Amino acid sequence: MADPAVYLEKISAFSRMLHLEGLTVSPQETADACRVLMELGLEDREQVKTALRMVYAKSREEQVAFDRVFDGFFLPEKTIREQAIRQREFEEEIRRQQRRAEQELVLNGRPMELTQEQLRTYVAMDEEHRQRLRNFMEKYKETAARNPGLYDNFIHSVFTRTILEKQLRMEEGGSGGMEADPELGLLYRDISRFKDTEIPKAITLIQGITRQINGELSAKRKRGGRGSQLDFRRTIRKGLETGGSLYTLKYKKKRQRRKRLVLLCDVSGSMVQFSEFALRFIQSLNQVSDASRVFLFSEGLHEADAFSLQNMDLFRDYVRRSGLYGRGTDLGLALEKLMKWKPSPLTDATTLLILSDTKTTGQRRALKAIEEAKRQAGKVIILNPIPEGKWKFIRSAQEFSSVVTMISCSTLRDLAAACRKLTIS
Amino acid sequence: MNLEQLKQKLDESHYVYDNTMATVLAVALTLGRPLLIEGAAGVGKTEIAKVMASSLDRDLVRLQCYEGLDESKALYEWNYQKQLLAIQVNMGSEDKDQLTRSLFSDEYLLERPLLKSIRSEREVVLLIDEIDKADEEFEAFLLELLSEMQVTIPEVGTIQAKSIPFVVLTSNRARPLSEALRRRCAYLYIEYPDMEKELAILRAKLPHVDDRLAAQVALAVQKLRGNEAILKKPSIAETLDWASALDALGIRELTPETLHTTAGFLLKNKEDMAEMSKMKLCDCGGHTHG
Repeated sequence: MADPAVYLEKISAFSRMLHLEGLTVSPQETADACRVLMELGLEDREQVKTALRMVYAKSREEQVAFDRVFDGFFLPEKTIREQAIRQREFEEEIRRQQRRAEQELVLNGRPMELTQEQLRTYVAMDEEHRQRLRNFMEKYKETAARNPGLYDNFIHSVFTRTILEKQLRMEEGGSGGMEADPELGLLYRDISRFKDTEIPKAITLIQGITRQINGELSAKRKRGGRGSQLDFRRTIRKGLETGGSLYTLKYKKKRQRRKRLVLLCDVSGSMVQFSEFALRFIQSLNQVSDASRVFLFSEGLHEADAFSLQNMDLFRDYVRRSGLYGRGTDLGLALEKLMKWKPSPLTDATTLLILSDTKTTGQRRALKAIEEAKRQAGKVIILNPIPEGKWKFIRSAQEFSSVVTMISCSTLRDLAAACRKLTIS
Repeated sequence: MNLEQLKQKLDESHYVYDNTMATVLAVALTLGRPLLIEGAAGVGKTEIAKVMASSLDRDLVRLQCYEGLDESKALYEWNYQKQLLAIQVNMGSEDKDQLTRSLFSDEYLLERPLLKSIRSEREVVLLIDEIDKADEEFEAFLLELLSEMQVTIPEVGTIQAKSIPFVVLTSNRARPLSEALRRRCAYLYIEYPDMEKELAILRAKLPHVDDRLAAQVALAVQKLRGNEAILKKPSIAETLDWASALDALGIRELTPETLHTTAGFLLKNKEDMAEMSKMKLCDCGGHTHG
């Protein structure tokens, strides 16, 4: 058995990395992992991985994150050597390219003043973009002589834009290891970016999740075979059969009412794919509500019939026929029409669910309409496909979220979480 | 018990396992942690508990979970009717306190699976099957048992485990389990077996079935599971039932006719049957019909 200190140090660093990846790691797990390592040693990497995965990862999703961290942390010796060689070669290549970049990026006979990051960006550009930049410099070298500040600014803005684009690509690239599992990957991806070929897989995934949520809600609803309160009337009546002895106790059953949902879905241009998925999701949740009514809106308002929501093709056809597709968005007008609808779909017992990215014409009017709808309906919730982190840049999102509950659900995972919240609220 | 010893025991039980499963089971045993097993229905989660019981030569105590399951069905219940009779019989007794005390003694305690597993003199394997079907309150109720290996009965007090059971919890992921429960368990996710493992299971469980037929059965089942239009994927138990049925009928070769007549052992709804009839499942042995 090896020295426990070696394992303790390694495992404690590993636990910290798992914690950074979002796994809940308690001292108990770290202690268990140490025991496992001391028992098994580090010789058989696959065995260690299996054993530690069992200790740290408590769900399939956590297993994916665990594998990613483990593969980066416990490297086989051969891989470490290969990586060191590759790293040395890579650094050498970068230095060589930076020297070349310094030679290429010359302004008025002097090397341009660029930061290390800008130099690295130039090196990382493909040859076509580098050539375009060099052509530009060649073309405007006389301008550079006359107005070096303007010229310099432009060159620097090209670098800044490239860096920003790179960051954006990284942000939108999904959540790393989740992509390794195509099913989980779809869960974490932006719904509006699903390709047509991925839609059947996403639908299967939705069916699985809704089954899960329905099961969960059904269990919650039927919780407890009996209520906690004794039903005296039924107990005494039953006791008459046994000569007055209260031989069988009867309990009161809780009665729970489901909500009535009114869905208001934005089907204008960019929102149509999200609305399709969200509707499919919510409609499948037979445990969420007793009855629901669905209204579609862009610049007008239409009540959708249940038949049109059966599948994607029917839904798209219906939206096109209704004349709502490809139009702008006016949430305020749609809400006003909804509130004037006879007989009124909004009552104290309804939850109004608005599927909207909050980008609408007439924001003031929309805000007033939301406040009025909140007064008429029992509850108003906005499901917003824009990630919460970006709301601070969108005024309407800020204003609407200050008045009603707004839930971010750009991914299927968020949508599932939102549906669970619907039942709690 | 170390990994090699466990593997030997599993071999003796004719259980088909891979290294991952054997390692997880051995480590869970070593750490004394409850093992939470998740996976689709029919992948063999419950079987693991049964095999562990036979491999470790322990009794299996099983608690089947369902909606509304509470401590009176899972842990203990007072024999209310017997208590009532005792009160009526001892109505004239002088010492009322003694009568009250006696009413909450072992004599009137109905032991349910959880209590049975921790009061057993010999270590047992406790299977808490389909925990996702139970309510969230029941999950919370289990926490004390899983982390402290003790239970509390208000009238009696805290009962410490006489022997530590090896606890196996299974879930079909019908609903997500609480973080608190997950944190107290080691975790194993199992998927349907691949072709090689399925064939090994068929050979281990049904050694008398013709090898060629077993291979055809395994391949057909793999194809059915791979088809997303099949709503209820065939489980391992159903595969074994199907192979047994084919063998009992004296069938040595899978043909569209034999498939049609025996499909009821494998698929359990009309839509899946219709989907299966569209699939080419019988060319697996190299002998094509129809």
